Amino acid sequence: MELFKVFLLAGMVIISILIILAIIRSAIGPSMTDRVIAVNMIGTMTIALIAMLTIYMAEDYLADVCLIYAMISFLAVVILTKVYTGIYLQKKQMKAGPEAIADNLASQPELRSATRELEMELPSETSSDSETEVIS
Amino acid sequence: MIIPRLILCIVLLFAGLFVFISATIGVNRFKKPLNRMHAAAMGDTLGLLLIMLSLVVWRGLSFVSLKLIIVLVFFWLASPVSGHIIAQMEATTNEDLGEIEVLKPDEDI
Repeated sequence: MELFKVFLLAGMVIISILIILAIIRSAIGPSMTDRVIAVNMIGTMTIALIAMLTIYMAEDYLADVCLIYAMISFLAVVILTKVYTGIYLQKKQMKAGPEAIADNLASQPELRSATRELEMELPSETSSDSETEVIS
Repeated sequence: MIIPRLILCIVLLFAGLFVFISATIGVNRFKKPLNRMHAAAMGDTLGLLLIMLSLVVWRGLSFVSLKLIIVLVFFWLASPVSGHIIAQMEATTNEDLGEIEVLKPDEDI
């Protein structure tokens, strides 16, 4: 009985170290997406930590905390992503959607083929110069 | 009776920890955000599954095990959604996306 708690304690220590490494990545991540990915992973590892703490302390109410934390972590990722994308597109005066992705891909010359595939699905008014330079 | 269950729980727990360790190493060592997302999603699904499975096997059939399984199911529903939203944000806002390597269906590795 007591032996498994020792392993749980070791596992919690390891997960704490991993959370610190993920926090370092979220601090030095070059782009905003790296930070959001790191925050998402911190949420996952905290859920595992709380679940292990539920069994370690034999306190059953901590499972409810675990469920609420999962919901709040998901909500945090959604809100961070939507707010950052909204601020970015407000500078370009565009609305979010496939048009914004196609506009971003069209400004990158090595991705013309991907842009063309997106334009074939969308009714678009883009000129036909991208269709003549298809690589593949 | 309790010894095989203890060994099974410890093996599952450390398998989950191994998946988390490799996910963290992947997030810290890959260069592009989409590659990092790939590494992080592995810990979201497999790592959490193994750790929750270890705890559920140790606890047996009880109400806490049901709650832990509910947490796992909710996270499996929420994690692909957040992954999709993060990838959408990456495709929308990254102005230097670079070459994305895609294998053609008739191409050998």
